Amino acid sequence: MLKVKNLNKKYGSVHAVKNLSFKLEKGERLGFLGPNGAGKTTTMQIIAGALAPSSGTVSVAGHDVFESPKKVKKQIGYLPEIPPVYEDMKVCDYLKYVSQLKGILKVNLSKEIDEAIAKTNLESVANRYIQHLSKGFRQRVGLAQALLGNPPLLILDEPTVGLDPQQIIEIRELIKNLEGHSVLLSSHILSEVQNICTKAIIIKNGQIILEDNIQDLIHNESSSIVHLKLNSFTKEIENNLLNLNYVKHCAQKNNKIEIHLTNSSDELLIELSKFLINSGVGLIEQSPQDLKLENIFIELTK
Amino acid sequence: MNNILVIAKKDFKSLVFSSPLWVISTLCSAVWSYLYLRELSTFVQRSSFVGGGPAGGADSLNIYYEVFAKHISLSNVIFLFLIPALTMKLLSEERKQKTYNLLLTVPISSLSIAVGKFLAGFGASLVLVFISLLYPLGTGLVADFSYSILFSAYLGLAFIVGAYVSVGLLSSSLTKSPLLSVMMGVILNLSILIVLGQADFLSEYPTFQSMIEYLSIGSHFVEFMQGLLQSKSIIYFISFISFFVFLTNRIIESSRWR
Repeated sequence: MLKVKNLNKKYGSVHAVKNLSFKLEKGERLGFLGPNGAGKTTTMQIIAGALAPSSGTVSVAGHDVFESPKKVKKQIGYLPEIPPVYEDMKVCDYLKYVSQLKGILKVNLSKEIDEAIAKTNLESVANRYIQHLSKGFRQRVGLAQALLGNPPLLILDEPTVGLDPQQIIEIRELIKNLEGHSVLLSSHILSEVQNICTKAIIIKNGQIILEDNIQDLIHNESSSIVHLKLNSFTKEIENNLLNLNYVKHCAQKNNKIEIHLTNSSDELLIELSKFLINSGVGLIEQSPQDLKLENIFIELTK
Repeated sequence: MNNILVIAKKDFKSLVFSSPLWVISTLCSAVWSYLYLRELSTFVQRSSFVGGGPAGGADSLNIYYEVFAKHISLSNVIFLFLIPALTMKLLSEERKQKTYNLLLTVPISSLSIAVGKFLAGFGASLVLVFISLLYPLGTGLVADFSYSILFSAYLGLAFIVGAYVSVGLLSSSLTKSPLLSVMMGVILNLSILIVLGQADFLSEYPTFQSMIEYLSIGSHFVEFMQGLLQSKSIIYFISFISFFVFLTNRIIESSRWR
């Protein structure tokens, strides 16, 4: 669906995006993570056609963004960080305006608008002026305009930023329930990416530092750390643990012992529990650390 | 073409229902009402003295040159300063409201955006031209005069307003600040109208002098005021407007590269 190859963007001496390459398959939901200034918005703007890159290629559904911009733009629904809404327009008039700009045929116009309104639950405010709407509703209006024309690729730049917790949950559910679209989503709320996306890319200083499926990412990074609760923990036990060839690190943290293993296989966990039981230290609890994407993100972007 | 009309229609509506147009219309009406009526009453007094009366006659004063031409010239000066205030929001507001991204990411060309915005601004400005025209037309109910020269002058006024709109549009595309856009528009309009009109210092170089005079918007407007509908003046105004709309198109396009 989306192919980004060796993408570069320079603002004067600042190299905002460096040789970025990734793919997004049909129906996939890709989370775009990174600290402020990492190049997420710049990359999204280049894909959406609002910015030109310094070098590199972007193709959407087989069309090159720079050679056939109109064809590509028809394939994309873009929601920038601040929803692009006209405050002096009513919701339905605004959606009609965007539909006409997107070149939706007159016969399909009202059907498309009704569908977008229904998908984003905007029925109650369809005839209200946008300036009178709450931030959450404005965000929905922004999302509704992105959905117009049923584009196969949705680019959502921090869609829940600045919303209250209830609105965040609503927008998140809304995006999660969108079917038939590939989604490229950037967010600072990592649980959101964990919740919505199937794949994640972490970028820092314009470069990809990690790309994986969310579940694999969390599993690989987290399960090599094990927390133990023992009846007694002495220096001798610590040395015995460190002598095991699959233990890299052992340290007491509060009333628990944190052990870093060489890999995350179940065999190693069984081996470790056998050793602890045999050595008579009184094993009360052994739990692999349930790392969240937040921890991985913080660790990688340090 | 359809996209151009979609943008023009939306922006025209937004301009017509916005406060700047109503403030400008009220201001213009107040100035015109006072000055036009003063000129008209002076004209009536003078023509009674001469003996011909406002209805005209071979030896009477000419109402067009004594009243209408002054009114149209005054309208031109007012528009020079106020049209940039009307067009200030055309593109700068899009940047300010962050809706600029929407225009750049929908399948339309930068030229469609520029032309659509120009048509909206031009349409709204014609409302002001129409209000200005109401004064001579109102006089026509009680006086007899030739309408052809009046309409030629108003065609010229419409062209010069189109030129001011195109300059205002370019100014609006250069900044996020509406106030700065107005200032730039007024300075550009003044430069084109006044500075290019003063070509006397080039009298030793007649080729350059005639070139600068041709570029002056004022000399072409005067021809319309005199009732001369010349194709070179019409081509001049169309080229002038096209040039500034094209520059706006390039500014919009260049925003992708910044």
